[in-house]
Amino acid sequence: MIRNLSELYQYRALLMALSVRELRARYRASVLGFLWTFLNPTLSMFVYWLVFQVVMVRSGSFRAFPYFIFSGLLPWIFFSSSMLGGTTSVSDRRDLLTKVRFPAQVLPATVVLTNLINLLLSVPLLIGLGLVFGFVPTWHLVFLLPVLLVQTFFTLAVSYLLAALNVAFRDLQHIVASVIQLAFFLTPILWPMSQIPALGSLTQGESRQLVGALNPMAPLVNAWQDIFYNQQIPSDWTGLGIVAVEALLIMLVSTAVFERRREEFAELV
Amino acid sequence: MSGAPRGDAVVITDVVKAFKKTSRRTEITTFKSELVRLLTFKRKLIEPSTRIEALKGVNLRIPKGSTVGVIGRNGSGKSTLLKLMTGIYAPTSGTVKVEGRISALLELGAGFHPDFTGRENILINGIILGMSRNEVKDRVPAIIEFAELGDFIDEPVRTYSSGMFMRLAFAVATHVDPEVLIIDEILSVGDEHFSRKSQARMNEFRSAGKTIVLVTHDLGTVERWCDSAAWIDGGKVRMFGRSEEVVREYRRAVAAAEAEGEKTGHSALSEPGLALPGEAPAPPEASNATLSGIRVLDTAGAQRELHASEQPLIVELAYAVERRAAVKFVIDVMSADGRLLFSTDFHAGELVGEGTVRLELARLGLGGGAYEIFASASANGEKVIQVTRSGFNVAPSHGHGLMRPELKWQLGAVQLAGGAQVAATHAVAETNQQTSLLGKTS
Repeated sequence: MIRNLSELYQYRALLMALSVRELRARYRASVLGFLWTFLNPTLSMFVYWLVFQVVMVRSGSFRAFPYFIFSGLLPWIFFSSSMLGGTTSVSDRRDLLTKVRFPAQVLPATVVLTNLINLLLSVPLLIGLGLVFGFVPTWHLVFLLPVLLVQTFFTLAVSYLLAALNVAFRDLQHIVASVIQLAFFLTPILWPMSQIPALGSLTQGESRQLVGALNPMAPLVNAWQDIFYNQQIPSDWTGLGIVAVEALLIMLVSTAVFERRREEFAELV
Repeated sequence: MSGAPRGDAVVITDVVKAFKKTSRRTEITTFKSELVRLLTFKRKLIEPSTRIEALKGVNLRIPKGSTVGVIGRNGSGKSTLLKLMTGIYAPTSGTVKVEGRISALLELGAGFHPDFTGRENILINGIILGMSRNEVKDRVPAIIEFAELGDFIDEPVRTYSSGMFMRLAFAVATHVDPEVLIIDEILSVGDEHFSRKSQARMNEFRSAGKTIVLVTHDLGTVERWCDSAAWIDGGKVRMFGRSEEVVREYRRAVAAAEAEGEKTGHSALSEPGLALPGEAPAPPEASNATLSGIRVLDTAGAQRELHASEQPLIVELAYAVERRAAVKFVIDVMSADGRLLFSTDFHAGELVGEGTVRLELARLGLGGGAYEIFASASANGEKVIQVTRSGFNVAPSHGHGLMRPELKWQLGAVQLAGGAQVAATHAVAETNQQTSLLGKTS
């Protein structure tokens, strides 16, 4: 793992160059250009708000529901686009892998970095939306840093694993797409963590912990909501801790798998 | 080369590279098999039945500062070897050691993005090829100048002609400044002018003491330009040595295989990757009939610098037969680029002891240029194992091409405007240098 990551650092120029290119290429030739980065989550947020608050008429007590959705949607979009892009990141780059000696781990890392930059650029938009609803940013923003760190590490770890496996097993990319879609509804984005009922013999608190442990994105999204929507110190430190440990374990496994597989990449892509 | 650094730039030891055939149903990767593999941390075992060995134990040392040509038929494993040297592939077994920064010109323009300008692509391509950001930035002016793109450098690459694209890609790739340069068939980039320029760039590399490995089917380039050559055949190094010698042997083997194919209707050449016949050079003592000499002579029995198309040519072979046997002699005449012009054999009957055998061509009939003769002897139908060769040159004469037949130009009947019919005959006969007009009537 250490070797893989230090190599990644060694190739940071390549990583940066590829990410910048990716970002610039994505919206080149389109009229709205970089605005699409913001438009996509905004439009999704608008639709969810329409469906879940206007059409289905939830209890009116939910204050600034669009802002709530948006604060959870941004980290989720970061995660889901990284998963989708990361899975095919190695298998799609036949042009690079078979033609030059190329550090393959840069490819999933590029996807994650690109999406991270997009996420960071979207944060001002989130703050702006908050101001519309009367949420003035508080000092709790500093907690975004550790949350982002865990989140990025976790996303990178899963990307490595999916990217390495998808080279030999291409069905994975379709599986990932479906799972991501389902997982969206199992993550507290459209509903708050507090709505999780007591499951079976567990207390409500334990149920939430269980959901958090099973879905590592839940505590992360929850932390974003705490920082931006509830404007408090992220409440679920245990959950975040579990995610951090999970991320580390996945990273250990996925870098080992990646290293083991990388010499086959050029032959199989 | 003078002042070449000592040691080897590339050392390949017992390298085997096996691929898996993926066409068989049972070989399809399932989620279960992947999971099992993942959990057991097992390297994929390649079943012998579905295994293709592209390289079957290659040993090669490429000294620093040398220029090495890699030749061989399609599918013989040349490209696999290059990919192993570059580190794109990992060997199934054996080791590949490369000293110094390596740059591979396997495919030009790796990672070029069509929507980006030439300048932007230089940066990304340079970094992909292993330069640091600053190194690339320092070299951008030189690269732009070399590529000769003018104002197009700030246009998106998708608007480039294929020649412009290749020129830019070549310029970036050759400005990486590697210690080992690996090239796969790309010396002929662009037009005549650029091609010369890239050749000059290659020569610069050479004189700077860099190691160059070149895969090409252009045997002339290998002969002229490489110090040594490796002939890869059937996944093995069949021969490694001075480029002229290796190229010559290679040409001979291809010609022999072609001749074999003509006779039996089945050619070793039609199956890609199959080794050419005569792979294992048999020990010389196993041979009963051997050739000890070959001479190319004129009618006066003199060896000449230049032979004339119109004159006879004599090929004299000296042979030795140990035990009495029916001996067959074969002589092939080939052009300088390795094409078989003709092949002739002679069943000499039972022979023993030493002697000579002569083939006389009443009229040489070849155009000006260099030619080669390959001769072999075999006893009692055994496989040809020893080949002797010699070269000869033919003086240029009227016309060009490999053949110089006896010829005559003739003008038929001409219909004149007045209605009178006149037979006009221009018969042209040439000697070596001059043309004379004969029998002109009106």
